[in-house]
Amino acid sequence: MTSNPPFKKVLIANRGEIALRVIRACRELGIASAAVYSDADRNSLHVLLADEAYNIGPAPSKESYLNIDNILKAIKQCGADAVHPGYGFLSENAEFAEALKKAGVTFIGPTPDNIRAMGDKISAIRLMRDAGVPTVPGSGGPVDTIEDAKKVVEKIGLPVMIKATAGGGGKGMRIVREMSELESSYRAARSEGLNYFKNDTVYIERFIQNPKHIEVQVFGDQHGNAVHLFERECSIQRRNQKIIEESPSPSVPHEVRHRLGDVSIKAVKALRYQGAGTFEFIFDNITKEFFFMEMNTRLQVEHPVTEMVTGIDLVQEQIFVAAGRPLSFKQEDVVQRGHAIEARICAEDPLTYQPSPGLIRRCRHPQGPFIRLDSYAYPGYEVPIFYDPMVAKLIAWGPNRETAIRRLDRALTEFTLTGIKTNILMHKSILQSPKFLDGSYTTQFCDKDLEIKMPKLFRSVDDHVFLITAAIAAYNEKRAKSVSDYNTLSRWQSVGRSTTLRDQ
Amino acid sequence: MFFEADLGGDLTRPGQTKPYKIEVNETKNSWKIALQEEGGEWVRYEISKDDYRIVENIVNLIWNGGSYLIDVYGSGIDYTVYTRSSVRTVKIYNDEALLHESLKKGSLIGGGENLVAGMPGKIVKVLVNKGDVLKSGQPVLIMEAMKMENEMRASAEVRVKDILVKPADSVESGQTLVLFEPVK
Repeated sequence: MTSNPPFKKVLIANRGEIALRVIRACRELGIASAAVYSDADRNSLHVLLADEAYNIGPAPSKESYLNIDNILKAIKQCGADAVHPGYGFLSENAEFAEALKKAGVTFIGPTPDNIRAMGDKISAIRLMRDAGVPTVPGSGGPVDTIEDAKKVVEKIGLPVMIKATAGGGGKGMRIVREMSELESSYRAARSEGLNYFKNDTVYIERFIQNPKHIEVQVFGDQHGNAVHLFERECSIQRRNQKIIEESPSPSVPHEVRHRLGDVSIKAVKALRYQGAGTFEFIFDNITKEFFFMEMNTRLQVEHPVTEMVTGIDLVQEQIFVAAGRPLSFKQEDVVQRGHAIEARICAEDPLTYQPSPGLIRRCRHPQGPFIRLDSYAYPGYEVPIFYDPMVAKLIAWGPNRETAIRRLDRALTEFTLTGIKTNILMHKSILQSPKFLDGSYTTQFCDKDLEIKMPKLFRSVDDHVFLITAAIAAYNEKRAKSVSDYNTLSRWQSVGRSTTLRDQ
Repeated sequence: MFFEADLGGDLTRPGQTKPYKIEVNETKNSWKIALQEEGGEWVRYEISKDDYRIVENIVNLIWNGGSYLIDVYGSGIDYTVYTRSSVRTVKIYNDEALLHESLKKGSLIGGGENLVAGMPGKIVKVLVNKGDVLKSGQPVLIMEAMKMENEMRASAEVRVKDILVKPADSVESGQTLVLFEPVK
């Protein structure tokens, strides 16, 4: 235990596995942890494992985990001197950070100004472009005539995407691969914009054909120091949500990796950013160019893969930085050692991605060498319907990518979670997919390249195993029932029965 | 003991089941199980009780060169079996259960099952009208659960007989949402 903890008590304004992650960081530093919970979370593991726990309202997030007043009350009640917001919920809410400041409580995260600067996506892109961070080449504003459109395309090159400013859901979007298509596509995008969104303003951007999601973990402190902790690749996504993340990326060449880091440090300094943050880039796997998309001003779900390859505890570092200490390491101390990969285990149907909340019957967690598990599942726990379906993160480390993947696959085999549907088998099938193994996968992987191995995995167990087991269970139940029927017969009936039996 | 069974729950073949006949005989030291898939041959197994153990409420079956850790639960006719990250649902009927099932199904046989909420949630939007004929896989309504909107689809070609919910309704797991009838 450290002799000088930076805070006395940290309230964790979150739930699930990330609340556990923060409890663990606090406990190692000798800081007391206070959990908060909604009515639906009384039995949640973070409540059971924290030093203190406070109810903050009804099950819906709006009335509890997003209810600033209720959380402020809990802070007052327990006397916490700092708050960790985790990810999601209030973690990127400047109003919350401001309210804490006013209450004299430290927010373990960036300044309200940092949050605001990156919160608006369009102004964030402008800010980053001014700081010298590459952004997707494009018109940078409305393109009002076909002549202007031609000029833009001549400047940025094909293919391009024409997007209606008000567009969404694939409407008002046109990809142009040849100059001859430009005029008709331009007109189509404008008229779709007008028809669907009553606005025919369009802009033009480079279209990235083989897009990968690459992000850089950064840290800044109150003394102007800035570091990066290299990249993570999170291109395996379903429903636009990440499900597998790894570090390093198998696609980023060495010199691009260093450019990513340098650019990110420049951005942290330009923002005077404090705490942990992540710059998300879209990465063109053909040209190996990267372009800024957005910044997450908080800890990420996938932070463990960075922790595994760098050996740095990101949550503890957040706590130190929030307390005003200088970063505990310098850029040259940060080394990417080996390879780490994380699978998000969700309570969901692995094929339709529909959430599958409910009672967890059995839960056997994987163990063994180089495996890390951040899970809040336990047998008898009911996954509530109100929150995110992710119940665990399984992380494997290896000296190289191949070994890390094999270890993750092995650990997934050991993971038993029954009573609810999970995406464990989906993860196993991803790990066997050629496009995943050779690293060429893009953000379209789950939509385009998955299916191949799935049916085989789902039928890897002989049907007779299921039938034999169910039949013996049904037999035993019938037998038990007839025995209990016998036991509940009245005394006279039993006597009568035994007499009859004796006579035979 | 004689059973009829329907093996289903293969997520890659939604809605499909395979009918079996099963015979279970218990002796002092073993289970004698015979299985017959509809139209196939009887397959007989003798499994020693040493190879079928219950450890910490989980079945460990050593069978055909494999060691399976199996979680099986259920009662009456519905059983769910999990092993090696795979899951199947098995409906098991004996004489009594068969009769009960046929009464319950009544005239609905062949008409496809009604649309039932698989989890508690809130109705966002109903996409069909009473009397519509739906193709298999056609979206019926959108339900919100766990922060996500989920489209629920028809599992077979059916006609919408009645719609029992409207947008903003909260529904319980197992609640019937839309009644279907067979298309003549």
